Parts: sequence; structure tokens; C-alpha cells
Amino acid sequence: MGELRIAAQSLKMSVRSRMQYRVDALVATIAVFVRESANIIVIYLALLKFDVINGWNVNELLFLFSILFLTYAIVVSLFADLRDFSRMIREGRFDRLLVRPRGLLFQLILNNADVIASLGHGLLGILLFVLSAGRVGIQWNLVTILYYTGAIIGGVLIQGGIFIFFSALSFYFVETGSIRSIFYWNMRKFAGYPISIYNRLIQTILIYVVPFAFVNYFPAQYLLRKPDMANYNEAYIYIAPFVGVGVYLAAYLFWRVSVRRYYSTGN
Amino acid sequence: METIIAVEGIRKYYKVAKRDRGMRAAIGQLFNRKYEVKKAVDDISFMIGRGEIVGFIGPNGAGKSTTIKMLSGILYPDAGSVEIDGFVPYKQRKQYVKNIGVVFGQKSQLNWDLPLIESFELMKFIYKIPQEQYEENLKLFSELLDMEPFLRQPVRQLSLGQRMRGDIVAALLHSPELVFLDEPTIGLDVVAKEKIREFIRYMNKTRKTTIIFTTHDMQDIEKVCDRLIIIDKGKKIYDGSIDEIKNKYTNFKTIEILLENGGKETETFDIRVTPMNSVLQKLFAEKHIKDISICEPEIDGIIRDIYEGRLLLDSPAMEGTGV
Repeated sequence: MGELRIAAQSLKMSVRSRMQYRVDALVATIAVFVRESANIIVIYLALLKFDVINGWNVNELLFLFSILFLTYAIVVSLFADLRDFSRMIREGRFDRLLVRPRGLLFQLILNNADVIASLGHGLLGILLFVLSAGRVGIQWNLVTILYYTGAIIGGVLIQGGIFIFFSALSFYFVETGSIRSIFYWNMRKFAGYPISIYNRLIQTILIYVVPFAFVNYFPAQYLLRKPDMANYNEAYIYIAPFVGVGVYLAAYLFWRVSVRRYYSTGN
Repeated sequence: METIIAVEGIRKYYKVAKRDRGMRAAIGQLFNRKYEVKKAVDDISFMIGRGEIVGFIGPNGAGKSTTIKMLSGILYPDAGSVEIDGFVPYKQRKQYVKNIGVVFGQKSQLNWDLPLIESFELMKFIYKIPQEQYEENLKLFSELLDMEPFLRQPVRQLSLGQRMRGDIVAALLHSPELVFLDEPTIGLDVVAKEKIREFIRYMNKTRKTTIIFTTHDMQDIEKVCDRLIIIDKGKKIYDGSIDEIKNKYTNFKTIEILLENGGKETETFDIRVTPMNSVLQKLFAEKHIKDISICEPEIDGIIRDIYEGRLLLDSPAMEGTGV
């Protein structure tokens, strides 16, 4: 109960502090929306020429993308402080959390929610979903809706877990930005397309190392059943919503072990 | 007096990468780094009783902040032990910090874009402060610190003094029994400093709050603290009352003379070694003096002399009296 109130107050503060600068907030939201849309428009135009990529038509690709945007919108509301964690360490703001009687991760989650990115990605995600979901032949019924919801939650947990993992790395190395940009941001770009178009190495990374394939590719396969699924184990489709729980737990344990280093090394 | 803080032989060493100048050295260090050990805190012990106000002073880099961090549970010592109110801070963090308040004068915990009240509300939930207690404290503190006029202004529009008062209130709303104030008066004007000093004294008097306080301002120490701990180069070099340190150094007098030709001279001496009588006789005999004044040592000057190594705190009388 108390936890919920802290969460509500933190979220309220994040939203209000962004809304202090209304014009800036509006422009920034539009900027995020336009920037991300530009990628989508490029794909759309390319698809007008090629028709399909590995059997996926344009609507199916938009559906694949929509999951990426929707999950990221939730991720940046929940895990923004963990995304920017190395800066927090460098500026010494982490000390403050240590002198409050609450769990450390709990204090980081929902704090400083990136409202702008959340709105920009969220609106685009919803738009893409609305445009594509009715045209890709998904039978929306209780089972598919439940699966879809589970997959979104799983996708949020996977990305949240990755942020927690990189945050924990900050206890060993002060600056972790470049490792993160290689493994998170680049992999996220790859995940915009069906992973079957990539070579073995990238596929392996997307499935086993930074498991973005479980954020959108395998969940979309459950609903769309494209022929390229034959390359992968059928079980991946069914475990997709649970992979998030595993990744998150593993990241949490790594965090627990790593945070102890902070106490002994300080700033 | 009941002991609240017991610190026994704590040490904290940092490894600092040694960097030589030049390109070749820079590349070499990528593969083979050499470290230097910096002794931030080197065997410090003390006891503090419940309800005391203790000032921690020392030059920059003396180890004050590191000590405060070990006491507040942010760091654990490489050696030695800390026990506070039955807790080992760095081992029982969540339980322990419920009863302490910490102000880092240089790092605000307030939300920059929102009114103070929003950050206070967050504290209410984080510390599970009962509504009644929260309102009572907020009312009392804002009266004492004259905060009513700016409670609803965004923090970014506040002056440094107003912001600091906000930070102090945020750290005290849950009525902690023990408060660490790390440079709470840094950069403030005289009026703001005085407000904060009055408030600290008030909290100590009426609520028996134990207060540990670091500062570079001797006025803070003289006006607020009963007891003074001086740290230098990671070691405790003085622990006792302020009066005691002053009494000790009343033996040191400074004479300022104005000569008839307009020249000025000053001389400092120890009256136990050279009594005033002989000093004056010698001066009068040798010089044509127009004016003379004899100055008592100021606490500022004493501390400066201690930092610069001109005064040594080594006589047995100067050993810490402790609790």
C-alpha cells in the first residue's frame, strides 16, 4: 500500500515537472514521434517496392514494430533512472537513495519517468497497432488477447532487466555508455525486422544474449504464423512471455551482488 | 549520558589510479595501471552521547565526508567498527536509516522543477510519516525557518538559502533521532546561516536530537556545537569542548604595535615561555611605540594554525575528553 503511494507520488512528480515547461514538452514529444516515425516511413516506402521481406508484408512489419514501441513506452516510464544510472553514480546522487529506508531498485523504478519519450513512443506504438492489427489476420479472442498482454509485460521485463544489468555494471566501471549502446540500442534497431533476415551471429545474440527476439519477433509469430518460424524451435513462441521474468530475475540477482561493491568503493 | 554512536578504529583507504603525464604513459596505463593508496580515514575512534551536538571540522580532503558516509551507512569501513543506536549502519541499512536524517549541503534531494511541498509529500510516503506528525512538523519547521512565503514556489526559483532550508526540512520531517548535516551552511549569507543555526539548536534543545555537523565556518561551531572533533589527514587530532581549545590557546597572545614612524609589527608568543612582562619590556626598550594592542586568539585563527601545523595538539591536556 505504502509502496503504491510512493509510486503514485513519484509518477505525479515526473509528469508535473515535465509539464512545467509545456511548450518544450509538447515540442519534445512531437520530435520523438517524428524521429521514430521517420524510420517507419522509410520501411513503408521500401516495402512499396519490394512487397515483402522474408514473407512479411508491410502491415505485418508495422505490427512487429508496434510491439517494440509500446513496450519501450512502458519501459521508459518505469526504468528511466536505470537507463541513466551511470550518470546518477557519477553525480553522487545514488548516496541519497542509500539513506532512505526503502529498497534501492524500488526507489529507482518509476523515479524521473521519461514522460516525453513515453508519450512519443506510446502514441506511435498505438498508431501502428491500430493501423496494422486489423489487417494481419489475427483472430482477437480471449486467448490471443491474454497472450498479447503477457507478451507486452514480458517485453517490458526483458528491457527493464537489460537496463538493470547495465546499471549494475556501473558499480564496476564508471562509464558504461558504449557497451550499452552496442548491446541495447543496436540490438533494438535489429529487432525492428524479422530476425530471420540476419546472419547467424546476430540471430544468436538476439535470441540468447540480448533477447530482443522475445520482445516482439516470437510473440508476433504466435499471432501471425509466418513461414520463417520453421527456422526456430516452436517452443520459443510459448515461452516468450516468460523469458521476461527470467531475464528480470537474473538481472536483479546480478544487481544485488554488484551493489555491495558500492559500499566498499564509494565514489 | 547514554551513548548513541560508538566508532572504533575505522579506516577507509582508496585506491587512486596513478597517472603520469604524456602520451606514452597514458597508453601504458590502459594495460598496466599503478595504484596509489590514499588513506581517507585512518584509525578514527570516538563516542557520541544521545542529545549531543558535535561539530566535525577539518581542511578539505581531511576525511570528514568519508567519516559521515560510514556513519550514515553509505560506505563500509575497511577496518574498525561502527555501532549506532544498536545498529551496524552498513549492514542493517533499511532498519537503521529510518531513524536518521541526512543533509548533504552540496547535493539537494529536492525536485528542481516543483514546489518544495511536493518533495515533502514524497518524504511522507517514503518514511511512512503519520499525517498528523507530518502536518505538525511541517507547520513548526516552516514557522521556525520562515518558509511559508516560498513553500509553493518551484525549487529552481529559490535562493540558495531557501533551498537549503528546504533540504533540511526534507531530511527532518520524519523526526529522526540522529541527524547528519554535511556542510549545511555552505555558500549561505549571514542571515540564512543564522536561521539554520537557530533551527539546529532548537531541534537539539526541544527534541533532544543528536546532531553531527560538518562545516568550514567557525561561527557555526562556536554558536551551535558543544563539542568539536577536528580531523586532519584521516586522523582525529582534537576531540573536546570549544572552551577547552580556547583556554588552551589563551596562552598564546598576539601583540600588534604601531610605531611612531608609521610602521606596523605583530608578534605572537606563548606567555608560559616568555611572560608578558618580559616581552613588553623588551619592546618598549627597543622601539618607539605609538600604539599597542594585545589580542586574544580567535577560534578561526587557532584552527588555521592547527591546519597549517603551527600549533600541535599533542600535550596530554589536549586528549579528547569524549563522553
